[in-house]
Amino acid sequence: MKTLLFMFLVVFFAGCATATPKELISARSAYQQASEGPAARLAPAELHKAQVALNKAEKSFKNDSDSYKTLDLAYVAQRKSELAGALGAMAADKASKANSNSAYESEQADIAKQAKQDLIDSQKRAADAKVKRDLSDSEARTAAALAKLEKLAAVKEDERGLVVTLSGSVLFRSNESSLLPAAKAKLDEVGKALRTVSERNLIIEGHTDSMGKASYNQRLSQQRADTVRNYLIDGGYPASRIRASGMGQGSPVGDNSSAEGRANNRRVEIIIERESHAYNE
Amino acid sequence: MRNSIVNMLFTMVVLSTAIAVGCASAPLRTEASTSGIRAAEEVGASDVPQASLHLQLAKEELARAQKLNENGEEEQAASMLMRAEADAELAVALSHGNAERLEAKEAMERVRQLRHDNP
Repeated sequence: MKTLLFMFLVVFFAGCATATPKELISARSAYQQASEGPAARLAPAELHKAQVALNKAEKSFKNDSDSYKTLDLAYVAQRKSELAGALGAMAADKASKANSNSAYESEQADIAKQAKQDLIDSQKRAADAKVKRDLSDSEARTAAALAKLEKLAAVKEDERGLVVTLSGSVLFRSNESSLLPAAKAKLDEVGKALRTVSERNLIIEGHTDSMGKASYNQRLSQQRADTVRNYLIDGGYPASRIRASGMGQGSPVGDNSSAEGRANNRRVEIIIERESHAYNE
Repeated sequence: MRNSIVNMLFTMVVLSTAIAVGCASAPLRTEASTSGIRAAEEVGASDVPQASLHLQLAKEELARAQKLNENGEEEQAASMLMRAEADAELAVALSHGNAERLEAKEAMERVRQLRHDNP
């Protein structure tokens, strides 16, 4: 009796224990794989559809384990899981592409900005170097011009710059503002030296002694300064860099009570300014 | 008497329903699978190995479903059609996914090249 019961149980369980079809095993595995991938975050709706499909297949397996319906439902569940996986991967690729494009644009903008800055820096360095070079060059030429001018006239340095003093009696006849022939030769030499520093501004100042009316002296000194200015311009010095100023008798350098003092006061001063900026700019 | 009339009516209803079910051979609804297969072909599934495989499966499953239907196995045919639809849909996604993957790769390469050229 016991043996019979045992045999009955063996036959009974053997009948119940149905092997899971490979379609369902594949579907479970595909769903597992999809749910562990980017689909969970990036394609949740598709993953949910796959889960629903898998549940249908499991239910069908429970009710009718080896029917074509179970196999077909399991097959569909596998494909839907693979679809969710593919869509998740696609969304991840899309995000990666967007990130790369954004990084590319941003880095390209940074590179362009840096290149622009580098160019500005390089231009600035070149400009600074040129200013330095020009300054040094200008200083050298000024020193050379000074050496020449010192041979031609009295040269001194004051707060305005270098002052070249030409005696009035060498340049003009008394009470006249036209140049003497000898004065032209001297001014030619002075002009030649000055043209080597033609980036400097010049101020031509006419001065008289105190003989005669101040207004007359003022006018005469202006005319003489203008004459010297025009002569230097004719000689090639830039007009924009020369200004003429009649100072009259107001700035004596000698004693007007003595003949020698008055002779020193009758003069034209050419001031070579330190800074170079055009007068008509 | 009344009971026998009711029984007779019930029997008639059951019989006519059975006849109707037996005779009505419902046409197979293949629209979803055929349009899915067409879509996969249009997005170039044939040129992407993995997508091409599923496109082929979808076509075969559609053919099998039609054959089953012709043999009067409507339910099984409809069930087979679900396979065809699922494969066609997957073929479309794999085609798109391939293009997206290539574009993402290109974009990454472009950034890598930019960084390489501008260390």
